[in-house]
Amino acid sequence: MRLILRFMALTSGLFLLGSLNSGCAVKKVEAWERGELAREEMAWEPDPQEAAYRSHVYFSKEASSGGASAGGGGCGCN
Amino acid sequence: MSMQKKNKPASKALLALTGSALSLPGISGKAAAADPVTETSIDYQYSNYREEDLPSSKHAGGDVERYEIDTHQLRVVRPWGDSYDVTVDLMYETMSGASPWFIMPGANGEPLQVMSGATIEDDRSDILAKVRKLYDNSAASLSLGYSDEDDYRAINVGIEGEWDLGSKQRTFTVGLGYSDDELEPTDGGTTLYPNRVTSAEKDSLSVYAGFTQVLNARTTVQSTLSFTRHDGFLSDPYKEAFVAGNRVQDNRPDGRDAIAWLTRLRHFVPSARGALHVDYRYFDDDWEIESHTLELGWHQNLPADWQLSPSVRYYSQSQAFFYAPYYNSARSDGFASSDYRLSPYGALSYRLRATKKIGTWAFHLGWERYTSEADLAIKSVRVENPGLVEFNAITFGISRHF
Repeated sequence: MRLILRFMALTSGLFLLGSLNSGCAVKKVEAWERGELAREEMAWEPDPQEAAYRSHVYFSKEASSGGASAGGGGCGCN
Repeated sequence: MSMQKKNKPASKALLALTGSALSLPGISGKAAAADPVTETSIDYQYSNYREEDLPSSKHAGGDVERYEIDTHQLRVVRPWGDSYDVTVDLMYETMSGASPWFIMPGANGEPLQVMSGATIEDDRSDILAKVRKLYDNSAASLSLGYSDEDDYRAINVGIEGEWDLGSKQRTFTVGLGYSDDELEPTDGGTTLYPNRVTSAEKDSLSVYAGFTQVLNARTTVQSTLSFTRHDGFLSDPYKEAFVAGNRVQDNRPDGRDAIAWLTRLRHFVPSARGALHVDYRYFDDDWEIESHTLELGWHQNLPADWQLSPSVRYYSQSQAFFYAPYYNSARSDGFASSDYRLSPYGALSYRLRATKKIGTWAFHLGWERYTSEADLAIKSVRVENPGLVEFNAITFGISRHF
């Protein structure tokens, strides 16, 4: 029950965040203004291979997992 | 792109071309919805992971030398026609060393770790292939993976959709993943380990949804919520618990529901020519484990196409409701686990990475130091698990794009 309530609260928060962003608070960024956003070091994972490795290490050594993707191999390391 | 070129003030026309030719950061890496991969790239990375030996003050038997893992990774990304791209990830790793087996009370009741007696030798192979189809204002991807160890096999499949909600300023992403795992523990059911299972199965289903929002010309943020359900054999067949003076098999519930909320921010600082990364993840599950993960990173561009990236990561978790270092009496539900990964603790890791680009080639060298202890946890911990891990990881990578 606790988990369901928290999931519902977080879902509400996420969609509230999404709806706020669609309002007037965020100014439109034109294509010619996006050079810095497009830089490699501005990616969510500048090196996906290293990110996958680190994610696998933390997954096998900590109790928590989950993020912005699904899939990928697990391991026999419950 | 050379560092000298980056230093020159760019015209609006050049930036417009750059902005359209390069991709905005997307939910799963470099590319965003409807931005095609334009060139083939190949990446190789070698990593050495080494856990520190268990201190003698916490050790009650078995080998003190813990895990060492060598990992080789190969990644190939290439465009496929006008509207598809393909990514293939391969991983091969070899593992050796001892791992925590069970915990017993010392003379004064302090928990002492007994490690596995014989050195474990194993290897693991993993392949993950992903195909992405690009549409005008959206993208869909399908991934398929297979993982194999001596005692473990898993197949996983995932689908993901991304939609541009307006001028590539907002993106909505939704995904679904499923994994089917089979275990055949070594020596299961033998006279040496008669209570260890001979085979078992588990499966995991996860769904996630999130927004990516460009806040301004230098800042973007992403927030993703995921739900995962695990079913089946979730115990560790190689671990035991000390219950009322007897050793019993690690025994956990056969179901686990978890939520994770990940929020990430990227901000570019032109005066410093560097990018700030802030990642925060909240995790909660019905085993009553709650965790917080905060990672701060800085990517500093340097002359001659060098880049230096220091980062720090903090992690804190509470314990599973059925966990104990050891049990004076059996629980009424029969669950028992002394696994340090289910114990309450905090962890701190520092990482430094250097990258050098030469033409179409790139090289990187990284080092990470990870320590975990009860005193690092957000809430006070009464008894620290003696098996908590400390490790160093060194990575070296080489990549080329065509």
